[in-house]
Amino acid sequence: MPESLSPVTAQMPRAKLAGLLLFFLGPAVVIYSLFSIYPLVATMALSTYTSDPSGARSFVGLANFQTLLGDALWSKPFWNALGNNLIFFTVHMCVQNPVGIALAGLLSLPRVRLKGFYRTVMFLPTMLSVVIVGFSWNLILSPLWGVASGALKAVGLGSLFAPWLGLESSALVTLSLISVWQFVGIPMMLIYAALLNIPEELIDAARVDGLGQLRIFFHIKLPLVLPTISLVSVLTFVANFNAFDLIYSVKGALAGPNFATDILGTFFYRTFFGNQLQLGNPTMGAAVATVMFFIILLGLCLYLFLVQRRIRRYAF
Amino acid sequence: MANLRIEQLNKRYGATTVLNDVNLSIEDGEFVVLVGPSGCGKSTLLRMIAGLDGASGGDIHIAGKLVNTLAPAERGIAMVFQSYALYPHMNVRKNMTFGLKFTGVPPTERERRVAEAARMLRLEELLERYPRDLSGGQRQRVAIGRAIVREPEVFLFDEPLSNLDAALRVSTRVEIANLHRLLKSTIVYVTHDQVEAMTLADRIVVMNKGRIEQVGKPLDLYYEPANLFVAGFIGSPAMNFFEAKVESIEGGRARVTGAAFRGLDVAAASLSVGDTLTVGVRPEHLVRGEAGAFAAEGIVELVERLGEASFAYLRRVDGRMFVAEVRGRQTPAPGETVTLVAASPDVHIFDASGLRVATGTR
Ligand SMILES: Nc1ncnc2c1ncn2[C@@H]1O[C@H](COP(=O)(O)OP(=O)(O)O)[C@@H](O)[C@H]1O
Ligand SMILES: [Mg+2]
Repeated sequence: MPESLSPVTAQMPRAKLAGLLLFFLGPAVVIYSLFSIYPLVATMALSTYTSDPSGARSFVGLANFQTLLGDALWSKPFWNALGNNLIFFTVHMCVQNPVGIALAGLLSLPRVRLKGFYRTVMFLPTMLSVVIVGFSWNLILSPLWGVASGALKAVGLGSLFAPWLGLESSALVTLSLISVWQFVGIPMMLIYAALLNIPEELIDAARVDGLGQLRIFFHIKLPLVLPTISLVSVLTFVANFNAFDLIYSVKGALAGPNFATDILGTFFYRTFFGNQLQLGNPTMGAAVATVMFFIILLGLCLYLFLVQRRIRRYAF
Repeated sequence: MANLRIEQLNKRYGATTVLNDVNLSIEDGEFVVLVGPSGCGKSTLLRMIAGLDGASGGDIHIAGKLVNTLAPAERGIAMVFQSYALYPHMNVRKNMTFGLKFTGVPPTERERRVAEAARMLRLEELLERYPRDLSGGQRQRVAIGRAIVREPEVFLFDEPLSNLDAALRVSTRVEIANLHRLLKSTIVYVTHDQVEAMTLADRIVVMNKGRIEQVGKPLDLYYEPANLFVAGFIGSPAMNFFEAKVESIEGGRARVTGAAFRGLDVAAASLSVGDTLTVGVRPEHLVRGEAGAFAAEGIVELVERLGEASFAYLRRVDGRMFVAEVRGRQTPAPGETVTLVAASPDVHIFDASGLRVATGTR
């Protein structure tokens, strides 16, 4: 028995202790295993098989991964999707999170009227279905009947309008910004909650020390909510590399134009379920899913070892 | 160092009035303690002096200058908060120099001031530590240090000792008193603890429900409370009050009688026959005996022994309780009926509106 056991559990009969452990940990272990561990392991196992046209499966080891990364037919779309996914993530990190932080900072200012109203309004899109958001933005930005071109014209900027969602050069960034628009409420809420945790007297002390609200934000508030910001970054990373729904609802599984908006999620979908002329390939799909899992795992490990350790949480 | 003048200061939140026509004048170098029950507006007044809260009306002058519209940092004040409010992500040195950076104090001057404050407050060893690695008393000293390096005209303290344990509270109290002697600066100090107020203050400001009840030297408040509130607030245990009436006036002396004490003769002064009064006597002024200007009888219910003195809780004839301090080893036993007397200078008379009547007894 390890020494760290409390005196109570140490004195317990083994059988009783085992029963106790089973009672408290059992349900969680069962549910977690059934719905998380099993699918993960099954997916990884599946990725080491291949199926012939008759549907019979045979073990091929890591051959699927070799194909995915080595065969130009597979690797080109894979790298394209990964690159797009990185851009998708970068836009979120550079726009969604700073804007979320800024909005939270504004909401936390003293004497802001209608705080609750602004907070709700900015959080509203997050509660909408992605399909509705995708559909609405598709309509708004449509060059044929969208309001965007008219709105720009009305303020004399009509020449700036372009069919952003249809151009290879701008489709991905536009989609990223739509996603930012929808989800900016989440970093805002998390960081706002963290800002509310900072004691009033600390801010008062900074005011007595001669800091204005802007300096208070950058010198006091921001450093104190860094742990929350880093948490938000991780959530963004995981959500972005698992993203699928927005692209699918706006652009379909082909992630056009010319795969310009293809990210790992849509790439996986086409591989696994097939699309138009492409046949579904569950074993290759499992390989793509496994690679996605490891990409996210790698990102999380980098975060845990490089960032998390250096960040300190403050108790007030 | 500077004087501080507050005129007709008001603070309202919607319909609730938190400060009501506060007038206060504080001399250069004076140590003034604001004391009063919780929620009476002490912190609000202090925060308004600091410029952290705006006024609903009235003026604040610091060093002869109207500061109503000035930001806290421009008022020449420094504030020590109840929670210390140290920046958790800065070490002690940075905590102290941080504000100076923004008010244009050059680095060498900053270092000099920190070194001096650190020496004064015995913080030299702690300069590189973070607040989380400091004890409560050390944090308190850092907070005071952060105020000192600003070299303010006026120091503002908001209940700085209430987060410390009893022993530390006493020693820090002494330190603050020493600091005041050393710096000779003007200090406004808020507390709800009357012992702190009595020990530290040059002058005490007693507040109640957003009003100033009385301003005066500690012992003046103790011996000549202006009204019932101050009489009951200053002194522990609180003053005993007995309902009374003016029965007759004869030859400049008024005969004051009540259900729970023997009749009493006081200078008639402004009294007239039939006036309702309150007679107040402090527990420490009651002694066992028969002869005295004031005498009351009671049955001992409980005796609290503190060592240097004991407090006897007695039930009066009218069913209410009063307290008497008993010195020495011989304490009355519960159940015993005792008579307690007080000399006339120690008997306070308050009129129906609660104001102390000058009976010329002291
Ligand atoms: N922002 C506010 N809105 C409404 N009432 C307030 C506000 N701040 C303080 N008060 C009220 O003002 C009164 C005085 O508060 P305060 O000055 O903190 O008292 P204390 O003497 O205990 O320091 C309290 O009754 C409190 O409820
Ligand atoms: Mg207070």
